[in-house]
Amino acid sequence: MNWSIRLTWWDKLLLTIMAVGAVFGFVRFATGIGSIANINNAYPWGWWVGYGIMTMIAVGGVGFTITALVEILGVHRYHSFVRPAVLMAFLCYASAITMLMVELGRPWMVWMVLVSWAPTSALYEVGWCAFLYLTVLALEFAQVPLEQAGWGRTLRIVRAIYIPIMILGVTLSHLHQSSLGTLMTLIPHKINVLWWSDNLPLLYLFSAMMAGPAMAILEHLAAARWLGFAPRMELLGGLARIECWLVGLFLAFQMGDLFYRGAADAMFIASWFAVSFWVEIGFGLLLPFVLLMMPEARESRFGLAWACALIIGGILLHRLNVAVIGLRVRHWETYFPSIGEVAITLAITAAALFAFGWLARILPIHEELPSPETRPHAATHPAGVLRGAEGVS
Amino acid sequence: MSTTVKPKAMIQDNTRCIGCRACMVACKSWNDRPEDHTDFFAGEGYQNPRGLDANNYTLITFNEIVTGAQPDWVFGRQLCMHCEHPACASACPTTAMFKTDLGPVVFDESRCIGCRACMQACPFIIPKYDYENFAPKIHKCTFCADRLEANLEPACATVCPTGAISFGDREDMVAEAKRRIAAAPGTYIPEIYGLEEVGGTSVLHLSSVPFEQIGYITGLPKTPMPDLTHRWLRTTAPVFAFLYAVFGALNWIVRRRMRHQKGEGEHT
Repeated sequence: MNWSIRLTWWDKLLLTIMAVGAVFGFVRFATGIGSIANINNAYPWGWWVGYGIMTMIAVGGVGFTITALVEILGVHRYHSFVRPAVLMAFLCYASAITMLMVELGRPWMVWMVLVSWAPTSALYEVGWCAFLYLTVLALEFAQVPLEQAGWGRTLRIVRAIYIPIMILGVTLSHLHQSSLGTLMTLIPHKINVLWWSDNLPLLYLFSAMMAGPAMAILEHLAAARWLGFAPRMELLGGLARIECWLVGLFLAFQMGDLFYRGAADAMFIASWFAVSFWVEIGFGLLLPFVLLMMPEARESRFGLAWACALIIGGILLHRLNVAVIGLRVRHWETYFPSIGEVAITLAITAAALFAFGWLARILPIHEELPSPETRPHAATHPAGVLRGAEGVS
Repeated sequence: MSTTVKPKAMIQDNTRCIGCRACMVACKSWNDRPEDHTDFFAGEGYQNPRGLDANNYTLITFNEIVTGAQPDWVFGRQLCMHCEHPACASACPTTAMFKTDLGPVVFDESRCIGCRACMQACPFIIPKYDYENFAPKIHKCTFCADRLEANLEPACATVCPTGAISFGDREDMVAEAKRRIAAAPGTYIPEIYGLEEVGGTSVLHLSSVPFEQIGYITGLPKTPMPDLTHRWLRTTAPVFAFLYAVFGALNWIVRRRMRHQKGEGEHT
């Protein structure tokens, strides 16, 4: 099979961002975290954890959300979204784990999590689930390159285990998306009352679900534009309606939780916390909710792209608010991400985008596109990972 | 060491503290921490350095408090509280942080991956990190666990010239702290910081003024912090089984329906 692609301007842009980040990454590994990062004793988790890990994992929720929608709830008309979603999830998790390797003080010791027994630690559960789920995603996606490479026997094995593996993936996602929130329930005295809640595990889980259709829509629009096919607006409209429900329910849950805890007053206290909260709610939930309610917006690429980008931005801000911005420690201690921190995260994200763009051009990810190599069976089957399901039945 | 190990505790009696900082020097000396360059800063608290860091495991805080007509120095102390139910240890994914039978919450660097969850988890903001090092470590008061093993008192307790630091079995220390407050109600506020905070700690602080005035973190729950995450984490196994079963069942129904549709399609 043909691995090479012709580099376009955005490939080159992404490669440049990766090169800049690699320089900072080299400095970080040569001279330690302190030389390039502003994370400190008061804010041990900064932009790297807030964006590079927590947001990446949340956004990677697209994998389990779309898979569950199609394979478990049986809404098969969206099956063409499964392959891109699984690949996106795989790359998001790979990004988060790459970020972890940069962010951990002793990354060469990370295997220690897998040989420890620490059931009281939310991070232990996150670590195990993320490790297992990355494996699951790799197995789920493996059929695509295996098919392409023509490795029949391995392909048959991968397809035979697809159903239990896929269900395992969806289950693991529920567990560790929520346990990332569990992690933060430990520090009620540090996180501002606007964000700390007993229900953080559910808030994290639901917002990851909310990221699913939004990412699927954004990916479809981007792929349509840059890989050159007509976006399937009727399907996007359907996903947008689902997304509208998810955003509305999440908004109701978050607000309900706030009022139930008796913390609603804090919304109206003039502080940077309240500002950050209103930006999160206003631009990340309310505005996209209203946009998605309007048929005009759901029927236009522009409206969909804006609404979904706002939702993803809102999830990013939610994670940052919980883990960084909403943190209140000794009042003289502050944190703002350094150029090096941002450069490294951008490079990892650029690498994930580059990998996606590359794979989307050499493998049959989008059924809207003609297969990269003419294979007789490619046209007769739907391109979703669902094919494995038929193989078993 | 006898087989019946009694957990140890320390009283930090701030009313007896004169701010000599011998404890800080002894701590640095025993733990082999280097000197620092420090700067003057504006604002409340005049101690030096301003807060704990990787080179300072304990700190006497200098607080200017107006009592009566004129301001007065009132001292406070920061060090690891060695919680009975440590949040840091519960958060550690590799059990690199753990509590020993004698009471100290200690750190095993050979297990540490450097995730800093312990720093994030600590309600007293105690564990610190040496970000400058290539292989950083968590730094915090060890309660001189190595000295305790050898039946010695923590280094700080041995040097205090005014008896502000007392060390012994926790039950004795609790009784002693209560006795001091009862004997001199004018000197002490009727509160032992650490008796009930986050489910009890191995360091018990006494003071002449409310603790928040001398830089202590107050308003902490009286229940162990790990309870907050335990509530969710204990459900992991049943939730996993439940969700797997539900998703499996739904998927089975969906596939069955698909087969039926396909079958009907072939007949017509």
